[in-house]
Amino acid sequence: MKKLTALLLALTLLLTSTAFAAETSATYSEAPSITAAGTYGKVEDRLPTAEDIFVSTQDATGGDLAIGTYGGTINLVGGGGSWDLSRPMLETIIRRSTDGSYYPNVIKSYEYSDDYTVWTFHLREGMKWSDGDDFNADDITFWYYMCHLSNFDTKKSWTALIDKETENYAKLTKVDDYTVTWTFDTAKYPADFIENGDFKWCWAPSHWLGDLIPSSIYVENEYWPDTGLTDEQVLANALAKGIDKATIKDLGKAAAYNCWNIGGLPTLNSFVLRAGETNSSSVCHLDRNVYYWKVDGAGQQLPYCDGIVYTKTSEDGQDQLMFRSGEVDILTVNMSDIASILSDMGDAAYLRTFSSTDWGAVPVTFNYTHKDSNYATLFNNINFRHAISIAVDRTELSQLLFDGFLEPGQSAPQLGNFGYDEEWIHQWTEYDPETAKSLLAECGLVMGSDGFYDFADGSDFLLTFYGYLDSGAVDQYPILEKYYNAVGIKTAWKEYEMAAYDIEIDNNDWTAVIQPHTNIGGLSMSDRPAPFVPIIQSAEWYGDFGTWYGTKGANGVEPTGDMAKLLEIYEKWASTPSTEEREAYNLEVYEIHKANQWTIAYLQSEGNYNLVTSSLKNYPEDLVWADLYMYANIVHYETLYKAE
Amino acid sequence: MSEKNTSPGGGHFLLSVKEFFQRDLVQYIIKRLLMFIPTLFLISVLIFIVIQLPETDYVDREISKLASEGEYVSQVEADALRAEYGLDLPLHERYIKWVTGILWTSSDSSYYRLYGSHHDWKYSFAYGKNVLSVINDRLPLTILVSALILIFQYGVSLPIAVYASTHQYSIGDYISSFFGFLGAAIPNFILAFMLMYLSYKWTGNANVGLDLSGFFPFLKSMIIPFLVIGTSGTCGIIRSVRAQMLDEVGRQYTLTARAKGVPEHKIIMKYCFRAAINPTVSGLGGVLSTMFSGSTVTAMVLMIDIQGPELLKALQTGDVYLAGGIVMIQAILVVIGILLSDIALAFLDPRIRYSGGGR
Repeated sequence: MKKLTALLLALTLLLTSTAFAAETSATYSEAPSITAAGTYGKVEDRLPTAEDIFVSTQDATGGDLAIGTYGGTINLVGGGGSWDLSRPMLETIIRRSTDGSYYPNVIKSYEYSDDYTVWTFHLREGMKWSDGDDFNADDITFWYYMCHLSNFDTKKSWTALIDKETENYAKLTKVDDYTVTWTFDTAKYPADFIENGDFKWCWAPSHWLGDLIPSSIYVENEYWPDTGLTDEQVLANALAKGIDKATIKDLGKAAAYNCWNIGGLPTLNSFVLRAGETNSSSVCHLDRNVYYWKVDGAGQQLPYCDGIVYTKTSEDGQDQLMFRSGEVDILTVNMSDIASILSDMGDAAYLRTFSSTDWGAVPVTFNYTHKDSNYATLFNNINFRHAISIAVDRTELSQLLFDGFLEPGQSAPQLGNFGYDEEWIHQWTEYDPETAKSLLAECGLVMGSDGFYDFADGSDFLLTFYGYLDSGAVDQYPILEKYYNAVGIKTAWKEYEMAAYDIEIDNNDWTAVIQPHTNIGGLSMSDRPAPFVPIIQSAEWYGDFGTWYGTKGANGVEPTGDMAKLLEIYEKWASTPSTEEREAYNLEVYEIHKANQWTIAYLQSEGNYNLVTSSLKNYPEDLVWADLYMYANIVHYETLYKAE
Repeated sequence: MSEKNTSPGGGHFLLSVKEFFQRDLVQYIIKRLLMFIPTLFLISVLIFIVIQLPETDYVDREISKLASEGEYVSQVEADALRAEYGLDLPLHERYIKWVTGILWTSSDSSYYRLYGSHHDWKYSFAYGKNVLSVINDRLPLTILVSALILIFQYGVSLPIAVYASTHQYSIGDYISSFFGFLGAAIPNFILAFMLMYLSYKWTGNANVGLDLSGFFPFLKSMIIPFLVIGTSGTCGIIRSVRAQMLDEVGRQYTLTARAKGVPEHKIIMKYCFRAAINPTVSGLGGVLSTMFSGSTVTAMVLMIDIQGPELLKALQTGDVYLAGGIVMIQAILVVIGILLSDIALAFLDPRIRYSGGGR
């Protein structure tokens, strides 16, 4: 029976992950640049023990990876946000495939007790930090007690490690050097723990960060004593390590959370930022991690490329020029630019398309908790949203804004996404201004002498759209205005800088928006539930309803009807360990959205497009652009190699 | 023999310097230095008010940016951040803390112990580090780029201006005037785009950014910045010096010198040119500041990582102490630069007086 269980377990691992245990007799090889350096010793000594090595043979879509060759650099370009550098190198607890499955990544394996209260993580024996120091259970306890519970990383609010019922933090226990357990008071289901999008890592280099934790934030625990260091001593220690931070909070977030942005800080990632550089450097050099713990199917230690050079641009279009010049290997482009670049470059580049998880393009939504009851009542009337949807000629809109590239569509899961519904994506998409007018009249609006609708009490109805800079809304508004005016809706436009816009939304001082800052959409509720259900102060389409739930009723507006039903389903969704049940609840949420269409989109989503220089190999096809997949991280840059 | 020949020249120079300082210059400099205090005080107040005029602060913008990246910050966390950065204090309190910190930070302060400086310029929110460190990161490259461009500007424009003025209405004058007007009329960023396009078309490389891999690659990547930033400045200098030179060439003293048989090159270079560059020298007041910041818009278009774009970014993100620090240092440099240019003018032109009463 035990053998059968073991066999089944092995089979499951084989089917659900790309990690295959290497033959213990396998031999390993390393990049010539490491051998030439002559200072790192034998590759076998830098890798985990043979049975704990991660062997990469498949990409995120399940496709077979070609065995690559060593050398070269991957040249990237971008704006340089704090997460941008993480995409090509970050290694996380688990990794996901585009079919929704996932597998242990940094950890060797995990298991949980029958009642879901105890989770066990097994680490890879012999695995090392990028500076050669051993990675073991101490680095987990250090992260949890010294960095996380002390809020040094500023992320103590993560729900993954808090018991949902008692709100107590999990107890972390070191079982041995390569095993730890997380114990909760009540059941902790996968969705809220191992699958939680925030819970990406749970380790920190204790040997390096040990003198950067001040006594002022110490949390009593059985593994790590109080350092006794003052805040000032810690900042001085940080300066000595080349980290110039003015406050402990800045230091903690940089060193224990966005740690990939500090050059010289040991990581487990495939590439490491060169010492002395930070993500604010205009050019960032990421060098291969010579202690990286993954190999390819032929036993070659990954990554294939010697490094990544990330150049920050200051203006739109510079990236395209650099790509055309051959200075950049991967370029994110708009659909409308693809043809011209490819025709200029011929065989020198190829296209990779990421499915979009956005729910349509050119979205608009309304303030359902508007302070003026006339507006709130109108927006909550489904006929109004129907009228707004059919008042616009989507084909013409696409021609004017996207050269006709985008198909007419609705705010709904797009083709290829979980919950795709052919009927829904075409719901209310026909252009019918006459019906729109009669629907508006049915809402109780009265046509005024100026040719625009007024409220029944005689007050003016002015649909003021809000938008923020660089969202694209400023280009979309004049076209939408023409259609809305044509059906008798008087409109106005207010544009804000993004932070000022967010303040208007958070203060509930708005009427309608084009291109919401947090739009409905995403891979599914497993990606992040907040865009789909009103649980925090976040998305415009639920506004103050979300604030109400997020503040446990202290602020905001209590939802009723279908909006309240979303919350009921969300709570059931969050409390079940069953994947099937969660998907069913997720679909129930989608059905409610389909029936209400709180957000209207006019076109189907654009998708994400990357142009890749033809010398770069192993770049998978048919990927998905999603937060849960950490966007470009799903490319698995460590497996890319350069060949003519 | 050679001693005899050089002695009068060297003696003349020393005499000039002595005479220069014997005038009321020292008194003038002291007066001007004292004027620094109210001037810089007013500038600092103005800077601090203007950079905080936007209704959103750094925390608001940071929260919005994080929301775009899928990271949400609660109101409680936002308030804590605001308190941490001192943004919850009234404007005047923030100003006083800022200015007093810059003027003098005592030896027993944490800042002094960490950074060894008595001048605390506060820290940049975006970088989470000392403002001076952020400025210093870009300073060497900024000064190098700006200095090279300045040398290019003056090295090219002054000879052309002298040539154009001494060959008025010649083909060379027309050509230099044509390019002068053209350069002055085309905005720098458009010229930058055009040159990048031409560079891409002709060489397959648009030359975006600076290549710091070596001296020659660096110079190669500086060709477009030279042409763009250099040309526009060059045009102004050529037009101004040419006009002044034409003025001087027609003056009585020039005619007299010519009549007395003074060689033409001496008339032009020693007398006319010296008088003609007065306006140019007085314009040098802004050079120090320009050296410090560089050309912002062009640097952004060409992706040159110097101080100017950094200031713009700081202003856009509400990084008030970084923006304030950069602008304040620029203001100090402008004030010093103007003083230096006035001293240089006095040295160039003995007719200039600093205090009332003629001699």
